[in-house]
Amino acid sequence: MTSPRPIELVCPAGSLPALKTAIDHGADCVYLGFKDATNARNFSGLNFDDKAMAEGIRYAHDRGRKVLLALNTYPQTDNWQRWTGAVDRAATFGIDAVILADPGLMAYARKTHPDLRLHLSVQGSATSYDAINFYYEHFGISRAVLPRVLSLAQVEQVIANTPVEIEVFGFGGLCVMVEGRCALSAYATGESPNCDGACSPGKHVRWEQTPKGMETRLNGILIDRFADGERAGYPTLCKGRFEVGDETYYAIEEPTSLNTLELLPELARIGVRAIKIEGRQRSPAYVAQVTQVWRAAIDRVLAGGQPFRIEQAWMAELNKVSEGQSHTLGAYYRPWK
Amino acid sequence: MKIALGPLLYYWPRQSTLAFYADMADAPVDVVYLGETVCSRRHELRLPDWLEVAEILTAAGKEVVLSSQVLVESESDLKTLRRIVANGSFRVEANDMGAVRLLSSGDAPARNWIAGPTLNIFNPTTLSLFADLGATRWVAPPEMSRDQIRALRDGLGHNMEVEIFAHGRLPLAYSARCFTARHYNLQKDTCEFRCLQFADGIPLKTREGAPFLTLNGIQTQSAQVHTLLGDLPAVCAEGVDLLRVSPQGQHTLEILQIFRQALDGLIPPADALHEALPLLPAEPCNGFWHGRPGVDQHIPA
Amino acid sequence: MKIPAFTLPAPLARVGARLPQLPPTLALVAGLNLALDRVLPRDTLEPLAGKRLLLKVTDAGMALRFTLTPRGFRPLLDSGRPDLTISATTRDYLALALREEDPDTLFFSRRLLMEGETDLGLLVKNTLDAVDWDSVSTRLAALKLPFARQLFARAH
Repeated sequence: MTSPRPIELVCPAGSLPALKTAIDHGADCVYLGFKDATNARNFSGLNFDDKAMAEGIRYAHDRGRKVLLALNTYPQTDNWQRWTGAVDRAATFGIDAVILADPGLMAYARKTHPDLRLHLSVQGSATSYDAINFYYEHFGISRAVLPRVLSLAQVEQVIANTPVEIEVFGFGGLCVMVEGRCALSAYATGESPNCDGACSPGKHVRWEQTPKGMETRLNGILIDRFADGERAGYPTLCKGRFEVGDETYYAIEEPTSLNTLELLPELARIGVRAIKIEGRQRSPAYVAQVTQVWRAAIDRVLAGGQPFRIEQAWMAELNKVSEGQSHTLGAYYRPWK
Repeated sequence: MKIALGPLLYYWPRQSTLAFYADMADAPVDVVYLGETVCSRRHELRLPDWLEVAEILTAAGKEVVLSSQVLVESESDLKTLRRIVANGSFRVEANDMGAVRLLSSGDAPARNWIAGPTLNIFNPTTLSLFADLGATRWVAPPEMSRDQIRALRDGLGHNMEVEIFAHGRLPLAYSARCFTARHYNLQKDTCEFRCLQFADGIPLKTREGAPFLTLNGIQTQSAQVHTLLGDLPAVCAEGVDLLRVSPQGQHTLEILQIFRQALDGLIPPADALHEALPLLPAEPCNGFWHGRPGVDQHIPA
Repeated sequence: MKIPAFTLPAPLARVGARLPQLPPTLALVAGLNLALDRVLPRDTLEPLAGKRLLLKVTDAGMALRFTLTPRGFRPLLDSGRPDLTISATTRDYLALALREEDPDTLFFSRRLLMEGETDLGLLVKNTLDAVDWDSVSTRLAALKLPFARQLFARAH
C-alpha cells in the first residue's frame, strides 16, 4: 500500500493571535488579508496591517510554515492601484503565495513579480478543468481552490485533467451559492463579496428583540426571526427563513457548516493537495479548536495502515463551533443538491 | 442602439418556447441569445433544437448568439460546451472561463465571441485581456453601476461593444443546489422538472410578506424587475451599444416594442416606464445602475 | 484552564439590578482606559466614538453604560437608547476574555446577544481578538505595573 501524497492544512487567520494559534496547533499554511476591500473578509477590526503582517510571516517562516495572502476580490477601474499595490506589498513581504480571482490582476502579478506563486481563489468560480487550465495556460497558477459545488466524483475528474494543484474546502461556513457568482448581498445592501469583500455586511445588519421574537434585518429586509431559546444564525441573506408558497422555511440553506472530515481518506486518494478551513472572521478560539482536530485527522490519514477512524470527540468539537451546531457534506454528497 | 433579447432563463414547455421565438422573428429586436444557461437537466430543447431556432431567427434578419451554461460541473456539461463552441455558424457568449479557454485556444480560435455577464469583468485591464483573446462584445455584470461602466470604457484601449442588462428580473446567484426541487422536497437529480410549472420562477417573500427573491432552479433572481426604461436618456448618453431584455413569462414582445419606441424618441422615457408597469410580473427596480442596492427604485415609478 | 458552566443564582441578579451601576461601570471604563493605546488601538476603535454602548451581565443584573470620547472611555449616566447592546452571563464573559470560547459559538447558541448596530459589535469583537497578549504582557511587564504579570499569565 502506498502512502497518500501529503495534504496541506490551510487555516484562516483574521488577526495575528489567530495566525499564531493556527501555527501552534498544526496548520501547514495560514491565509490572511489586508485591512481593506482587497479580500473577501473585509470586516471591521479584522485582518492585518503591515506590522502584524510582517510579524505573522516571521512567526510562520521561523516554524517552517507558509503564509498565503487573499487578494480575491475584483478591482474596479478607479481602485485598480489599490489591488496592484497590495500585490506589490505581498511580494515585498515574502508571502508564499497570493490567492487571486481577477484575471487582469493575475496578469499584473505574473508580469511584475515572475517568482510570486499564484493561487486561483474560490471567487474565480472555476468549476471545470477547462476553466482551471485557462488560468494555468495564461498566468501559470500553481493551485486552484474549488467552489463548493462539485461532487466527489467531479472533483476527481478535475484533478485527473489538470496539472494545477487542487485545494478544497474541508470545514466551515458554507456558501451555498457558487462563490464569485452571487450578487444577493449587492442586491440587498449595495455591497457584494465580489467588489467590496463582504457578504451581508455588519453595518447593514440590525438585531432587535420584538414581541414576535428576535428579528434580524439586512438593510431593512427581514431575514429571520428567532423564538426565545431558538438557535440563531448569521443574518447572511441566503440563510434566512422566507415564505415560499404557503411555507415558511430555510428556502435556500439552513444555518449549518460544511464538514468533510469523514471524506478525508477519499480526498487524499483522489489527490487533493490542500484542505481549506473557512473562518477568517472567527476568533482564535475557533481556529485552535478546528485546526487541532483537522491536524490530528490528516496525520492519521497520512500515516496510512489501519482504516481511518473518526474520534467521537473530533466531531463533537467541530459541531460545537458550527453555525447551527450541525454540519453537512454539501455538494460532495450528491443528494444534498 | 440595438436591443438584444437575453437567453431564456426559465424552463418553459417546448411548444411555448418555440412559439415565443417564432414571435421574436417579427419583434423589434436586433440580437437574440439562445440556449440553456441555467440547468443542464432542462432538455425541452436540446442543442440541435436551439440551432434550428437560430437558423429561423437568422433568416428573419436577427443576429443570433449561442449562450453557454454558467455553472459547468460534469463531463457532459463540458461536452455540450464543446459542441456550442464548435457550432461553426453562430457567435458564442462565454459564461464561464472554460468556455473562454475553448473559444480562444486550438487551431482556429474564435475572434468575435461575447464575454458574458458572469465572467466578472470589472476593470479595463481584465477586459483588454479578453479582447486580446478574441472577445468583441462585453456584457457588463448587472451589479455594475453607470459610473463603473463608464470608467471601464474610458480606460479601455480596445474597440469593444458594450451591452448592459436593461430589463428583467436580475439573475443574482447560481448554486449547485436546486431551490425549486428543494421547495418540493425533491432531490435535484429527480426533480420531476418542476420548473416547467413556473413561467416566471417561484416568488420568495420575507416573513412579513414582502417580495424579495425569485427561485428559478439553481438560479436565484430578484423579485423586483430591474428596468432601465425610465433611465433611457442617461443610458443613451453613455453610448452603450446594446440593451439586454430578459424574457419574461408574458408580454416580452410588448416590452421590446416599448423599448424600441422609447429609443426612437416616439414616447418619453417616463411614459415608457409607466406604460410598461402593468406588463411586469412585479414592481420595478433600478438601483444597480445608480450605484445603490439593486432592490432600490431610484426614480419613483 | 477550562471554565466550568455556571450562572450566578437568580436572586443575585435581582439584587444586582437594584445596586448602583456606577461603581462597576467605573471599574470597567478604568480597565478599558488602561488598555486604550497600550492594548487597544485607538484608531481602530474610532467608529465607537460618541456611540452609546451597553454591556449587560445578565446573571449579575448589571447594565453598564459607557461611551468612547476623545479623552477615553467614560460612563454614561442616563439610560437613553443604546447604539449597541451586548448581553451575556458572567461565566461567558470570562470565557470570552480568556479566549476559551469563540464569540460566534456563543452567539449562535443565543448565549451572547448583540442588539443595535451590529458593525460596532463586530468591531469590538475583532479588535479584542486581534490583541496579541504575548507582546502585551512583555510590554506591561516592562512598565512594572502591579499585578500585570499575574493578570496576563492567566489571560494567556
